[in-house]
Amino acid sequence: MIEVDGLEKAYGDLTAVQGLSFQVRPREVVGLVGPNGAGKTTTLRCLAGITVPTAGRIRIAGHDLAAEPVAAKQVLAFIPDEPHLFEYLTVEEHLRFVGRLYGVADALVRIPRMLQELELDGKRAALPGELSRGMRQKLAIACGLLHDPAVLLFDEPLTGLDPVSIRRMKATIVARASEGAAVLLSSHLLHLVEEICTRLLVLQRGQAVAFGTMAEIVAARPTLAGRPLEDVFLELIGQEGGGDR
Amino acid sequence: MNGAYGYLVTRSLRNRLTRQIARLRSPRYVLALLLGLAYLALIVGQQHSAPAPLPANTSRWAELLLAVGVMLAVTWAWVIGSERRALAFGPAEVTFLFAGPVTRRELIRFKLLVNQTVVLFNVALWTFLLSRERLGVSAWIRALSLWTLLTTLSLHRLGASFVRTSLLAHGRYGARRRMASLAIAIGVLLMLVWAVADALPELRTAWNAGLRAWLGALGDVSEGRIAGVALAPFRLAVRPLVARTGDEWLRAIVPAGLLLAAHFIWVLRADTAFEESAAEFAFARARARAGRPQPVTVPSRLRLPTPRLAPTGRPATAIAWKNTVAALRSPRTRLVLTVYAAGAVIAGWLATIEDPAPAEALGWLVTMWSGFLLVAGPQWIRNDLRGDLLKLDLLRSYPLRGASLVAAETASSALILTALQVGLLLIGWLAFLVNPIDVPGLAGRTTLLVVALLLLPAVNGLGMLLHNGAALLLPAWTHLGSGRPGGVEALGQNMLVLIGFAALLAMVLLPPAAAGTGIYFLLERPLGYYGVVPAVVAALALAGAEALVMVRWLGRVFERLDPSVTPVQA
Repeated sequence: MIEVDGLEKAYGDLTAVQGLSFQVRPREVVGLVGPNGAGKTTTLRCLAGITVPTAGRIRIAGHDLAAEPVAAKQVLAFIPDEPHLFEYLTVEEHLRFVGRLYGVADALVRIPRMLQELELDGKRAALPGELSRGMRQKLAIACGLLHDPAVLLFDEPLTGLDPVSIRRMKATIVARASEGAAVLLSSHLLHLVEEICTRLLVLQRGQAVAFGTMAEIVAARPTLAGRPLEDVFLELIGQEGGGDR
Repeated sequence: MNGAYGYLVTRSLRNRLTRQIARLRSPRYVLALLLGLAYLALIVGQQHSAPAPLPANTSRWAELLLAVGVMLAVTWAWVIGSERRALAFGPAEVTFLFAGPVTRRELIRFKLLVNQTVVLFNVALWTFLLSRERLGVSAWIRALSLWTLLTTLSLHRLGASFVRTSLLAHGRYGARRRMASLAIAIGVLLMLVWAVADALPELRTAWNAGLRAWLGALGDVSEGRIAGVALAPFRLAVRPLVARTGDEWLRAIVPAGLLLAAHFIWVLRADTAFEESAAEFAFARARARAGRPQPVTVPSRLRLPTPRLAPTGRPATAIAWKNTVAALRSPRTRLVLTVYAAGAVIAGWLATIEDPAPAEALGWLVTMWSGFLLVAGPQWIRNDLRGDLLKLDLLRSYPLRGASLVAAETASSALILTALQVGLLLIGWLAFLVNPIDVPGLAGRTTLLVVALLLLPAVNGLGMLLHNGAALLLPAWTHLGSGRPGGVEALGQNMLVLIGFAALLAMVLLPPAAAGTGIYFLLERPLGYYGVVPAVVAALALAGAEALVMVRWLGRVFERLDPSVTPVQA
């Protein structure tokens, strides 16, 4: 479970995220949407313990991220849009490395399964330089999923994947949530958000402008009833012309 | 088009400097700047201001040493150097210039212009450092001499990289493509060995007359017929730098200038396979900067075996294992291992021949090199935080305490450096094994070897912590990534870092060294040689305590490092 209370992140005079509070419960997929510069990636990086928030409190599966960073990171996975891989580790070695790092006792059993699930079993001895962009992305995802995290943070998870992989990726995200994980994903692909997310968090200039299920968001703004998500989104972020499209 | 290049280079340089100076808002960077300025003032302050020209004998030796140095640098560029470093175009440069209405030759000219920023910086640095040392010629003339030498060497490196890239593009991998350059290097080396062997009786006689006489005889050999031919081009390049008078300088600068012009023409013409290779390299670099890996050119069949990582245990071990695997898979590791194996075989053979001098020379050479690695090694071996900070996001997401991560990162590079030094010491020990060299005797040498085995990991660990600490504290002013500014043209800045680091390391090592030495002398009388045991234990304990304090502090620094406000780039 992700609990965020009063999250704030400032860079000098610029406030990237301000007064953000929300929860993501187990078995839930929350979509983080907003225009460029709305603070989506900053929020995810704060939740992943990469960036230190200026103010506010974050709890990951009951662990305070500031007070118990190791325990909190032990149960979360952050999968960025650009796969960060080590030049000289093979595909299988990346998974062994992550297994040791996160203390996955049965890593040797999980790794073949994971490689098969992400269609990487034919590439287990390949170095990242020998993989395509999509395969590197799959490897980064496999590394994130190996320790069976209770909290999953995805930043643009479908970047660089082919249509077959996109379908599998969506299925993987939904499956992880249905197994009990709390999932927060940021994406510009509104159809993805509509398809797999149970709730939406819409950010604009670092602040939440809407949070809830589609029905809840529309119920709070009756003028949006019956309109597609794209129009709802544009309306929420203040792009008035959105309703005319 | 030249105006556009000039604009691009000068504006980029200005903006970069502005950003670096803006870092001075942080007290940490102000402190670093003040320390750096004090360090430079100390170096300049130690020089003599007397306008005396170089003594003739000093000038002769300086020319020989510089010529040998340049010869080694050139050999390195051809035999070991990276063929791609000189093609380091940025992705934006490729996008705008390669796709633009620009000829290949203009691209090379642009590259030369960029290289000039490094050359000019180092010329200014050396001129400033030697500003009070008149040495017979004015600072301006010395600056011009330095510029001629460094530009010639920069052009030579670029030309060598073009030739090697061209060979690579034609499918010649690894040792095969180095054969021709290796053969020439070995040819020059053989000529020098031949010259020394030819003059061995004179050298022996001079040795008995003392060190000064021996050095004089060695100088005569270097100016003889055979060695003279081998060293001639290198002497030509360095001669203006050691000229004692204006007349001497004028006579020296003309051939050096012609050598520079010849290199310029060679580089402009040696553009085979340049464009594709440069573009390919630029995009690989862009991928690496974006956190994506570069294609690795070592075929899997040539990869060295690597240790396996147990699935359970201390998580930080995984970091050290990752770095070790990366080092073992680096294309250079195989070459280093081959050189070590060859060194061991040669040492074993020399130890059995009747004349002890060659074995003794090799023994001292490798031992001194091992000692030199104490200060140079941490600058060269960088598979630690200096490489991984480019993936700061990833590191920060790991479930590890900052101190554990810093310890694991530095331990891996310290162990690799230690392995290299121990290998050299073993070769030295082997070279001295059979020959009856008395000081120190076999027992003493073996004791020293064992003591070195025990102490080196601690010394190297502290050294690596200093370098990693600099990267963590001043990431915007530290060169990150596996490479570093290289080549003779960057010699000035690298030497300054080396000397500064040596001074810092000496300060850190002082307490453990003093404790160890003190205890040894206290216990030498009752315990004899065995007094070394408590001495080593005390030194290790103190070094360990220092390392612990540094690791904990740097761990906290790492935990506070914010990737979104810390400029981390190669």
